[in-house]
Amino acid sequence: MSAILDIQDVTVEYSTGGTIVRALDGASLAVRAGETVGLVGESGSGKSTLGSLVGRLLPGNARYPEGRVFVDGHDVLQLGVKELRTLRREQLGFIPQDPISALDPTMRIGRQLELALRGLPNDRAALVGHLERVRMREPERVLRLFPHEISGGMAQRIVIAMTMARSPRILIADEPTAALDSNVRSEVTKLVFGLARDAGTTVLWLSHDLRSVGRWCGRVAVMYAGRVVEDGPAEQVLGSPTHPYTVALAAADPAGVQPGERIETSSVDVAALAASFRDEEEVVAR
Amino acid sequence: MRLLHWLPGRLLSAIIVLLGASILIFAAVRSLPGDFAQIVLGPLSNEEQREQLRQSFGFDRSLPEQYLLWLGNAARGDFGLSLASQQPVLDELASRLPVTALLAGMAMLVTIAIGIPLGVYAGTHASTGRGSAAARIVSTIGISFPEFVLGCLVVFLFSRFDLGLSVGAFTSPTTDFGRGVVSLLLPALVLSVFCVAATARTTRDAVIGVLVEPHIAASVARGEPKGFIIRHHVLRNALIPVLTLTATITAYLLGGAVIVERVFNVPGIGSYLVLALDRRDYTVIQAGVLLATAVFVIASLLIDVLTGLVDPRVSVAKKGRGA
Repeated sequence: MSAILDIQDVTVEYSTGGTIVRALDGASLAVRAGETVGLVGESGSGKSTLGSLVGRLLPGNARYPEGRVFVDGHDVLQLGVKELRTLRREQLGFIPQDPISALDPTMRIGRQLELALRGLPNDRAALVGHLERVRMREPERVLRLFPHEISGGMAQRIVIAMTMARSPRILIADEPTAALDSNVRSEVTKLVFGLARDAGTTVLWLSHDLRSVGRWCGRVAVMYAGRVVEDGPAEQVLGSPTHPYTVALAAADPAGVQPGERIETSSVDVAALAASFRDEEEVVAR
Repeated sequence: MRLLHWLPGRLLSAIIVLLGASILIFAAVRSLPGDFAQIVLGPLSNEEQREQLRQSFGFDRSLPEQYLLWLGNAARGDFGLSLASQQPVLDELASRLPVTALLAGMAMLVTIAIGIPLGVYAGTHASTGRGSAAARIVSTIGISFPEFVLGCLVVFLFSRFDLGLSVGAFTSPTTDFGRGVVSLLLPALVLSVFCVAATARTTRDAVIGVLVEPHIAASVARGEPKGFIIRHHVLRNALIPVLTLTATITAYLLGGAVIVERVFNVPGIGSYLVLALDRRDYTVIQAGVLLATAVFVIASLLIDVLTGLVDPRVSVAKKGRGA
């Protein structure tokens, strides 16, 4: 089966005030339809850039000197404005990290949902139905509220409802639970994966919460310094990692430690470990 | 209704502002150098005549007494007689008010009709270099050109050359509204130049600020077209700082009207106040400045209400502060 998402050796550079920062450095990732892929890596590893790249949603100062991105056969980096818009609208869904700021502060929830569902049935009953699908309590009342009047968890449910209403082929969720309270995190995660499974949506789940990735994703890709350095079935990558960075990452995960046990502070050595790995790689390349 | 939670408090503070302003105005006018009796009766009058005049106008009483008397009458709508013309101040101001109101209204209309679209265009095309540089230069020139310079330039050009509109020939809007509007066109345009530039600049910055907000990025990610996003999500959010500016513009229009009316010889409240200042016509100055203050306070109040309607977060913040 061919890949619905195929990122081939992409390099992304940001130019900021004369200096060029390389965010992706030959990253590759191929995902088949229906897969659930957890993309892990520390801040700055390039996972957000990779996620935004799928919808060509990078800021204006981003350049793509190398590589190609295919979504369902469409060459994303070469598409015209209209085709790109249609692709985002019909094939892709994005869930951001901070749900409250993802909603228009001056507009009632009901009106925002109505606008987001343009082209689909968007009468009152349909809106209530969408909120019920994300298990929102008192949907009628919520529709009349403004974003500053709801909690982060409610806002994230609304964003999920907006995104999943169009049954996207690929869902890109960029740390969607990072801004939420821990008690609603698992609920929201469960909700997203449940809706995605029902709609047959492929999920790209960006996170550094290894435990939830291990629980919900069939496959894990590890990013370091702008590349995917390890990629495979979740239990294999997280259970017996081969890349030194993944080893360090797994060891430093507080969730994997028994209560009372001292956490190995090998995360301090992550950079050194990975640097040595890269040195080796460069030696091999020569 | 959220509005009802903070509106009474806001009204009360508006009244306090007006009261405070009335004290300041009274004190400022009375500390002006120059004696009214001296000016009215001329240098040939003797002290006895002057004293008699002062008594007949109540200037022999203490200042607080004069203030309270004035305030009490003003509250009943009686601003006294003009010291110079012996006509009721209210009538004198009322006959000139339509002219100034029309002048300021036309300038405000031009400001909104040109400034906001210009700012939205500049803001949404900010990334394309040339357009944004042009908008910046135009707004800088507009902001830094004083209206008396611009006014004199316009008066010169339109009286020296036949450009279709005449300056100096004034028709009152109460006798012929259409011709009144035409005769105020040039003064209104001169008055609006600064406001257009300031509004365009503020709108542009507001639009640029809204465009980088995450909820706009979320709309883009949903595949919404640019025009749709600007119409539904950018304009309303960008309107908030522009509304705040409108209060400042109202104050500016009131002050600018004084100069522009003088330059174009328009018989409005502004030129009347300048005349009253020359004559030390205390009652007229006091009433005129109080009127301007009241207009500004009411305009700010209206704009606060409007801002509360546009931005639901504002009224909540106000309510919280009041409680």
